[in-house]
Amino acid sequence: MEYILKNGIVYDPANEVNGEKKDVYFKDGKIVEDVSSAAKVIDVTDKIVMPAGVDTHAHIAGPKLVLGRLYRPEDSRRGVTQKTKVERGESGFSIPSCPTTGYRYSRMGYGTVCEAAMPPLEAKHTHEEIGIIPNIDVNPLTLFGNNWIVMELAKEGDIDGLAAFISAWLKITKGYGVKIVNPCGSEAWGWGMNVHGYNDSAPYFDVSSKEVVRALAKANEKLGLPHSIHIHPNDLGHPGNTPTTLETLDSLKDIVKSTKKSASVRDQTVHCCHMHFHSYSGTNWRNAGSGAPEVAKFMNHCKYATGDVGQVTFDETTTMTADAPMEYDLYRLSGLKWVNADIECETAAGIIPCIYSKKAPVSALQWGIGMELFLLIDNPWQINLTTDHPNAGPFTRYPRIISWLMSAPKRNQMIESHEIHKWAEKRTMVASIDREYDFYDIATITRAANAKIHGFHDRGNLSVGSNADIAVYDINPNDFDPSKNPDAVERAFSRAKYTIKDGQIMVKDGEIVSTKPSHVIWSNVKGMEEQEKDIIDKVMPFFKQYYSVKWENYKVHDHFLSNPIRVDVE
Amino acid sequence: MSYEPPITDYDEIVENCTCAFCGCNCDDLDYLVKDGHVVAVRHACRLGASKIMEDLDQRLVVPMIRGDDGELEEVDWDTALDKAAEYIANSVRPVFYGWSETSTECMKEGLDLGQYIGAVLDNQATICHGPSLQAVQNAGYPIQTLGEVKNRADMIVYSGSNAMNSHPRHMARYSVFPRGYFRQRGRFDRTVVTMDPKFSDTAKMSDKWIGFEQNGDYGFYNAIRAVIKGKKLTQEVISGIPREDIYELVDEMKHAEFGVLFFGLGLTHTLSKQRNIDIAIKMVMDLNKESKWGLTPMRGHFNVNGFNIFMAFETGFAFGVDFCRGYARYMLGETNTIDLLVRKEPDVFLVIAADPGAHFPNGANQHLAHIPVIQIDIHWGPSTELADVVLPGSFIGVECAGTSYRMDGVPIYMKKAIDKPETCRDDEWIVREIKERVMKLREEPNVAPKYIPNPAAE
Amino acid sequence: MKTITFDVKKRNQIALEFDEIIPDTIYTWEAEDFDKYAVPVGNSRFPLTDFFDITVEGTADSPADVKMVFNGDCGRVKYIGNKMSAGEIIVNGDADLHAGAEMSGGKMTVMGNVEAHAGREMSGGELEIYGNTKEFTGASYIGEWRGMTGGKITVHGNVGKQCGECLTGGHIHVLGDCDILAGIHMTKGVIEIDGNVNRWPGGQMKNGNIIIHGKLGRLLEGFVEEDIVTDPQIDGEIYKGRYISFKGDIALNGKGHLYLDAEKNRDKLSAWKETDDEYISLGENRKYR
Repeated sequence: MEYILKNGIVYDPANEVNGEKKDVYFKDGKIVEDVSSAAKVIDVTDKIVMPAGVDTHAHIAGPKLVLGRLYRPEDSRRGVTQKTKVERGESGFSIPSCPTTGYRYSRMGYGTVCEAAMPPLEAKHTHEEIGIIPNIDVNPLTLFGNNWIVMELAKEGDIDGLAAFISAWLKITKGYGVKIVNPCGSEAWGWGMNVHGYNDSAPYFDVSSKEVVRALAKANEKLGLPHSIHIHPNDLGHPGNTPTTLETLDSLKDIVKSTKKSASVRDQTVHCCHMHFHSYSGTNWRNAGSGAPEVAKFMNHCKYATGDVGQVTFDETTTMTADAPMEYDLYRLSGLKWVNADIECETAAGIIPCIYSKKAPVSALQWGIGMELFLLIDNPWQINLTTDHPNAGPFTRYPRIISWLMSAPKRNQMIESHEIHKWAEKRTMVASIDREYDFYDIATITRAANAKIHGFHDRGNLSVGSNADIAVYDINPNDFDPSKNPDAVERAFSRAKYTIKDGQIMVKDGEIVSTKPSHVIWSNVKGMEEQEKDIIDKVMPFFKQYYSVKWENYKVHDHFLSNPIRVDVE
Repeated sequence: MSYEPPITDYDEIVENCTCAFCGCNCDDLDYLVKDGHVVAVRHACRLGASKIMEDLDQRLVVPMIRGDDGELEEVDWDTALDKAAEYIANSVRPVFYGWSETSTECMKEGLDLGQYIGAVLDNQATICHGPSLQAVQNAGYPIQTLGEVKNRADMIVYSGSNAMNSHPRHMARYSVFPRGYFRQRGRFDRTVVTMDPKFSDTAKMSDKWIGFEQNGDYGFYNAIRAVIKGKKLTQEVISGIPREDIYELVDEMKHAEFGVLFFGLGLTHTLSKQRNIDIAIKMVMDLNKESKWGLTPMRGHFNVNGFNIFMAFETGFAFGVDFCRGYARYMLGETNTIDLLVRKEPDVFLVIAADPGAHFPNGANQHLAHIPVIQIDIHWGPSTELADVVLPGSFIGVECAGTSYRMDGVPIYMKKAIDKPETCRDDEWIVREIKERVMKLREEPNVAPKYIPNPAAE
Repeated sequence: MKTITFDVKKRNQIALEFDEIIPDTIYTWEAEDFDKYAVPVGNSRFPLTDFFDITVEGTADSPADVKMVFNGDCGRVKYIGNKMSAGEIIVNGDADLHAGAEMSGGKMTVMGNVEAHAGREMSGGELEIYGNTKEFTGASYIGEWRGMTGGKITVHGNVGKQCGECLTGGHIHVLGDCDILAGIHMTKGVIEIDGNVNRWPGGQMKNGNIIIHGKLGRLLEGFVEEDIVTDPQIDGEIYKGRYISFKGDIALNGKGHLYLDAEKNRDKLSAWKETDDEYISLGENRKYR
């Protein structure tokens, strides 16, 4: 099937197209140079055309999501809708059910989402859920940071062994890249403890967080995976954690980026997720302040790191992370129902409902820090828009964040009218920054940069040969001032005029008109078979003794993979 | 127990099969296969082995329909499926119950059918660990995988659970006896406590037995929580336990390095039901201030957790999900099978991989006798006597592959070892066939003309 | 004033769902609108007139002008008065699940018995029940830690288990007896029980007040005796009589109060000494090593 998307105003930062009126052609799911005269014309005159969105970091499928849904029926109840001819009923607000997740991303014009934490033992579960999410492609990142075997290899300094291990485990779990969460901290949580700072080590494992992260970064570059290491540093959410964050990023400055073709799309060697949670100053919540200027200054001088914000959106949401000790700290603060899920030899996870209130000082401060990161980091290619769904807010709030970023008057009005607590004014400098994002910048932080960071060459852009993943929004940028109309921006980005995925029209006028099964994207390292076999033989006695499943039942069978897209790494 | 000589006469060994009995989902079984039959099972407990090695005596092999004379008559597949579809298509309040002994792949088909026709989907949690799930929804859920228990735990508490009898390999494979990474001496490195009114077989294996009185659970746990907070107890005896013993127990629990509470139906089905679990969960959370504690419900069927997980990621609710209005709804006492049956609401009952005839209270079964019951199962059981249509399925993990979730949420792909009897069909196939037939018979009810967002989620 | 009378023609075994027929939606409806309306029953809808004779008298400009009267057995009509914000509903008979659930205003009276979940998550208005109710009266939706936040529920009969679960405000008055765990997890509000209470009121309560005029079966260890008080003033209201006041549930550092009638509950006083008749000696087997 051939299509012409006619007369749209195109924003395609990857090809440096900034608001040009032009046609986009696609055929059989790919963007093409030209189409025949039989092509179907979709008239999008004077409407914004962008590549479909790419989410850098979200939690949408997996065991901890399901625990969240299982134990928060009151959240599921909030989003319940009736089924239609196309859609099955929706449910959930902060932790939507799998079908709902797909529909809502589609409605916002998104096409690819990264599931940011997949524990290897329960990877089958993550893949089973991905198979049920419709309309979006998902690349799951496998958790490595607290894996006992990784910690042992890092202690020995065996980078080759570690590379083989990553390569083997990505095949076993069908993962896309390396995720590190609170390195050594989640292991310490096995004993109810945490690590403090970057140089601390977990009990019984004589290896520091720093050694683990550096070893994994080296191994990642040795393999030349499409994505760099994806790190959630230590001390998340603790006032005064900025030095830990900067130390973590700084310690990776000498890591040489892989020269392999597979790693050529990205520029960075480390991606730091939900940076706002890692940019607090002070010593406790009474005197907490913003560390964002410091972090932004570092980022502005740093070429090898990228980040995403994890913007707080003032909602009642559910926090869930593999950083289990932090979740227990939150439980001590709020006393709400707390979930903990430790996974043998690999990781841990925690969940707790969280209410970010505009009237609460801490929430207001967190909002301000997130905004500062967006506004003070100069290069939009270095910072992505996320809410760390569902931790700081549900992903359905992205349009609202876009409206904040595009309108300084809106931000100032929120602060000046005391709609939000005065800590946002007093302890951050948001009110004094008048930078506004334009549509080109928005396209960068929601699409182009995200795809580049994840090493996707075929999405996040409208180049010929890329996937026909396109979003159209009902705004005429030549005749519209986003700064004065933040609500209209939010409306338009919440309900895409068209969302096209692999050439199929999924959304029209903000309504789902068709659905399609999702793809799972995973990295397959080639040419390491010998080393993989060696490392598996080496860890096998350990595995047999200390895991509670058999090796044969550990790996993700092909049965669980829905329409896999294999990214081969030579 | 008489001596049984080892089986030596077999064709092949199928290794690493998964046991389809209890929530332990032991995945290290070896089946000895001869002539397409499992003749012996290695590593399994007696419960698992005897289920897997079943002979064909009580196996349902042919579809049956209850005739006008009240007897079950053998029919062909088409007739039986058409009859089942007709019952479901004409129903106003259908209930699809069971699912805990089949695969998530089959549940998927069942959910599609349930969402299409507007049925209530429920599983055995409604009669076993439903109160646990309700408590989890109120209080939280600090759990860990069973390997974590093996590697770290130095204090194991079984409360209201007789693991020795109900989950025979639980203590041996996961909790008490195995040598873990940090517990190299196995049993000798661990303290085992059983809290049970009965001096059960598990209590005999334990270092300590806390025999609180029946229905006294809530008061007992409340006292433990009070002691953890540093309160002196005023009553001398709480729920049948002298207060000195409670002080001693709390002291031990606080000083454990890694403790785990396993609880069973003894806790979920006494007087204060879900609140027993609620307070036990809160107790575990309190203990986390002092050391590290977790808990795990001792799930009964091998995939009862799987249904809860599956429904949660598909619909947002764990069990007892009612689609009758075209959207998902979950409400205690309203959308659960027993409540519906006792209220005599359902007019068609589909039971798959479950035996309500044996497990349900009398009041619920009385209503089942009056309405059409469709049974999909592998064995004859009391439910067969209630059934109007009987559809013989296949045995997941032996005759058919499928996914199941262990009691701690670890997914396991159960593999196929032998072929099913020729006249039987896969559960997944049966439910899909019924679905397709129902779709032809009745237009989908309760479809909204267009998507209406829920204002609460805007 | 508009009076809409629903005379029950037949009781359906499968429950009818009345969440769409509350004063807020039907104040503009005329008789023919009711004739056209089909009520949800299970997965289908049937004409409302199959089950009720409906008469409409008068006119209404707002929901507050509406009075709905049900005559007959509505023991299979769920969600009567669900989410209503104004107006009046009188049920001359029984009502089914969720009577007056999530009400925010208006008044609802049930002359007969009510099933479980009556007045669930009410935020205002008044619910009066002359018969008995079952579990979760004035409770929260499962998993929600903020339950009923306002309004008043009066039950003249007995209530079932876990009445006022997660109560976050409002007033529940039970004139009859109460089963176990009244006011569990409550954080605010008042529960007053005139009759006897089975066991363990106020389990894991953080705050709020429970007043029991009758005899209490068993008290939780998490409650600490404070004082004997006469005519205490609670939330601006004076309760006549002498009460033993307890603070709890200290198992979670709660600051709630439990008032027990001093005469009937002498055995709960720490000074009271008599062999605890519920102590069961378990003999030698009690501890196994």
